[in-house]
Amino acid sequence: MSFRYKLSLLFFVIFFFLITARLFYWQVVRASELQSLGQAQYGRQTTLSAARGEIRTSDNFTIVANKLSFLVFANPKEIKDKKDMADKLGSILNTDPASISAQLKPDRFWVPLKSHVEQKDKEKIEPLKLPGVGFQDETTRFYPEASLSAKVLGFVGKDDIGGDKGYFGLEGFYDRQLRGKAGQAIVIHDAAGRPILSKLTGNTGQTDGRSLVLNIDRTIQFMLDNTLKSGIEQYGAKGGMAAIMNPKTGSIVAMSSFPTYDPRHYEDYSDDLYRNPFLSDTYEPGSTFKPLVMAAALDAGLLKPDTKCPICAGPVAVGGYEIQTWNNKYNANESMTDVIMHSDNTGMVYVGKTLGLDRMVSYLDKFGVGDLTGIDLQGEVVPNVREKQNWYPIDLATASFGQGITVTPIQLLTAFSSIANDGKRMEPHVVSKIITSDGEEIPILPKILGQPISGKAARVITEMMVNAVDNGEAKFAKPKGYRIAGKTGTAQIPVAGHYDANKTIASFIGFAPADDPKFLMLVIIDRPTSSIYGAETAAPIFFKAAKNMFTYYGIPPSE
Amino acid sequence: MRRPIQLIFIIFLVIVGLSVTRITVENSISTTGIELLKLQNTISSYKKENALISEKYLEDSALISLAKKANEKGFVNANNQVYLSTPLPLALNQ
Repeated sequence: MSFRYKLSLLFFVIFFFLITARLFYWQVVRASELQSLGQAQYGRQTTLSAARGEIRTSDNFTIVANKLSFLVFANPKEIKDKKDMADKLGSILNTDPASISAQLKPDRFWVPLKSHVEQKDKEKIEPLKLPGVGFQDETTRFYPEASLSAKVLGFVGKDDIGGDKGYFGLEGFYDRQLRGKAGQAIVIHDAAGRPILSKLTGNTGQTDGRSLVLNIDRTIQFMLDNTLKSGIEQYGAKGGMAAIMNPKTGSIVAMSSFPTYDPRHYEDYSDDLYRNPFLSDTYEPGSTFKPLVMAAALDAGLLKPDTKCPICAGPVAVGGYEIQTWNNKYNANESMTDVIMHSDNTGMVYVGKTLGLDRMVSYLDKFGVGDLTGIDLQGEVVPNVREKQNWYPIDLATASFGQGITVTPIQLLTAFSSIANDGKRMEPHVVSKIITSDGEEIPILPKILGQPISGKAARVITEMMVNAVDNGEAKFAKPKGYRIAGKTGTAQIPVAGHYDANKTIASFIGFAPADDPKFLMLVIIDRPTSSIYGAETAAPIFFKAAKNMFTYYGIPPSE
Repeated sequence: MRRPIQLIFIIFLVIVGLSVTRITVENSISTTGIELLKLQNTISSYKKENALISEKYLEDSALISLAKKANEKGFVNANNQVYLSTPLPLALNQ
């Protein structure tokens, strides 16, 4: 082979190699960049926003939906008479004309004037044919039942970059599920800017948010809201809260608290009202705690319902303190059943002493005191339970009747589910299933958190609680013919190191029908003024709601 | 000499044929952008209408609204329920 032939061959090989390398560079290395440049010449990139998932009650009614609303914007360069336009828009949009006028700076092309404008207001503006004024579609959360269960639902606000973000309640807890994922797409246009017949670029990555179906029963929620609200007004209380659970599944069928806020206009309310006190506030449960301590002693086999109290003849001295009964009346040698019925603090001191510190701490742990319940709502807190080495005899004594120990209402409700559910403590759940944008249903199944007491102990304490309702202080309000297990509570509020005798948290917890519970309910009234006692405030509200529950569930009297 | 003329003629026909086809197809799809825009606007208006109807339906079927209407029409809560007692066992029934 001649030298010239080899040189020519080498030249062509190198030449083709360079071409191949260059093609590789354009078609592989810079492929995506060039593709974007090309698309920019014939199409426009558009963001396909994801529709936020809906929230439905157990009857499949959409309690939180997406509503079509509009962003009103203006191009100041097209507006000649700014004052006239500001006046016209201000009166329709209920906005100060001066603030509209101030936004219309002549050096800008696009100025947002007001977002979340409703269709009816848009229909008022359109006939005016204001030059330079336009509308952009957007969605707003819509609450057909207004503020019903607002603190369970939460609300949708804005995040740091102006996007939608759920806060508090379900909107906060399930935000990632509800919000979905926005996608990007290229829409191809002709020279005049009209879209031409072409599909959007294949996979845009857009996925609509998932919807939630709740355990919340709309009818029960509505009833509980009304009953609680009227009770708070009747007893001159500062506020109140209540929740109803199915103790066999842990399903929360209603949860209500007052004062509340309107999620449609959440920005008009104080931040304090956003929290759901049922899981975010702690309190001393008072006498409603007694059945748990008694159940622990029964389960441990240390006491029986007819065990006599040897220290109940008068006040009991513990660690330099004197413990009295709530009414300063004493019943010597009363049985444990009577201790619960009379809500006797001295009797509970005996129960606590018999139980002992180790068992007390162990049972509190089994009942979930000191742990998160795992409820699917944003904002649950967990009050600390002191370490075992930091318990003094007076702490054991006061904890046995529910003072000096703090819980959240949801903790107490969950702990009582073990009494109403044959000893098994259930995880509380507001959502029953999640529905994906493809229609796939993901059920949330009941979950047993543990079994703090035996079924036998649960049945015994249930009978003691039935007796407390039938013969205790609140018997006057009880619906006739029903077996209801319950317990009143009147806890004084610790203020600056001491208890204020006139400021109490009145409560009532119970379940019914006692032999086959369909619901477990806790009612808490904050600082009632007509009476400070749970038996005279929270209990009547409980029984009124229970009566409605019997009617709604079609449960006839059994006695 | 005859073959090249035939070949040129065939090529010419192909060019003319393809050109005519292209003009015809382009002519037929040139207005689809406008039609597409109309279709998209129609879909958008139906979606809006549907959203407004859904909104109205939810508002009207909300318990808060039903309770208000029931109150206006004079309905009251039933406070006294009547229950039929459980039938006695056959052996005790007279």
